[in-house]
Amino acid sequence: MQPLANITPLKPAGAIEVRNVGQIFKTTTQDVVALEDVSLDVRPGRFVVLVGPSGCGKSTLLMMMAGLRQQTSGTITISGAPIPEPDPNRVGVVFQEASLFPWLTAEENVEFPLALRGVTKSDRRARAQDALKLVGLDGFGKRHPHELSGGMKQRVSIARGLVQDPPVLLMDEPFAALDEQTRMTMGDELLRIWAATGKTVVFVTHSLTEAVYLADEVIVMSPRPGRIVDHLQVPLPRPRTYEMLSGDAFGSLRDRIWRHIRKSA
Amino acid sequence: MQSGLAVKAARIAIVVALFAIWEILSRTGIVNPRLLPSASDTLSTLGELLQRASVRKDLAVTATEVVTAFALAVPVGALIGFLIAENRYFAEVAKPLLFFAFSIPKSIFLPMFILVFGVGFSQKVGFGFFSTIFIVIMSTTTAVESVKVEHLTVARSYGATPVQTAFRVYLPSMLPVLLEALRISMIFNLTGVILAEMYASRDGIGHQIATWGENFQMKQLLAGVVMIAAIAIAFNELVRWVETRCSHWRT
Repeated sequence: MQPLANITPLKPAGAIEVRNVGQIFKTTTQDVVALEDVSLDVRPGRFVVLVGPSGCGKSTLLMMMAGLRQQTSGTITISGAPIPEPDPNRVGVVFQEASLFPWLTAEENVEFPLALRGVTKSDRRARAQDALKLVGLDGFGKRHPHELSGGMKQRVSIARGLVQDPPVLLMDEPFAALDEQTRMTMGDELLRIWAATGKTVVFVTHSLTEAVYLADEVIVMSPRPGRIVDHLQVPLPRPRTYEMLSGDAFGSLRDRIWRHIRKSA
Repeated sequence: MQSGLAVKAARIAIVVALFAIWEILSRTGIVNPRLLPSASDTLSTLGELLQRASVRKDLAVTATEVVTAFALAVPVGALIGFLIAENRYFAEVAKPLLFFAFSIPKSIFLPMFILVFGVGFSQKVGFGFFSTIFIVIMSTTTAVESVKVEHLTVARSYGATPVQTAFRVYLPSMLPVLLEALRISMIFNLTGVILAEMYASRDGIGHQIATWGENFQMKQLLAGVVMIAAIAIAFNELVRWVETRCSHWRT
């Protein structure tokens, strides 16, 4: 009976629930278990970082949360509902470098998700301006990606992810291609944007320092089959500062993650 | 851009020098002027020819054939190329075969086209089409392969429909390669049609050129060569101009 669905209590916007999720890739010779029995709860407004060695399935898990890929078993809900296909109203995705369309200007790139849904030109432009202002790129809207630095390009990507104001922002190693300095700056910028918007953020990275620096919670995953081996709370106060990097609390958290990863390497 | 200007000046100088050498060779009699009429005579003959109704009619006939062959070969070839590139299995099977077909000189098939189509409009269009389609197919596969997977994923993550993906991701990604393909296809197309006209025809500018050659009318022959060359270069440059405007983002 359809009406029953209405009785189901709705999870608050921005909550992510991952229940016993498994992913098996079938190749011609064998089946590869990419993820096994992964369960995870992300409360609205939290900044959660997924870390783990290459091939642990962290990006795969993120793509499933985005509705870009379907799990073999288990369930994933975003804001209380499953996500069988991408839903830009619920989830914005920020990809690795080079995901901007080089033939569009920065503001046209940001407008892209709105253009797909037939939002009028003037409305689109206004919302893109707001998003670009939020990421600190006011006045750069008319430039093409090749006229922007690596950090600026990723700011445009973030603006594109935020332009439809989804409660959840998924980020797949967005700063991996940036140099160390730019990476630190972008981390601070991301935290500022996160604080200003109150989004739920799930962030995938290889960098342990980046993980601890950004996160409320760090999820550590093991290589194939991908499993969650640790789930840490990061009690460091906010705003995070550069000085914290050399503190004991920071060091012990990073060591704890490193021990898990070294074991599995 | 001072070096750019210098380069342009050098180019113009070379063209002028070539015409000057041509003029001198003929005027001084180093080369028999009956075999090589002077550049100035050739150009004035060209002006004269362009006034002639029969030449204009020949040009119109050739233009119609070229445009028809092009208008058929480009969409058909693009469609085939697209289908091949979109299907991995197809691509693997068909690509080497296309390369084989492409490497065969098309001119050896011309007698067959005459046997099948007779001498006339469809023979020229058919042969122009045949000369062009392989390069269009191959260029289109290259163009499809130039579409980045990352861009397709972005489009999908923002809920793009297949039609939106086609127009907003595939088309702009492919445009620079496609324009280049268009330019090169036209060279093949023009060659095919004119060759067909020279080989067996009753009209068309290629037929005229062949006739002038047979009758040892060197002025007319050279004027025809200059005319066709100018038309081909003009088209090529036009597409190249569009190309640079469309692919300013390509670095």
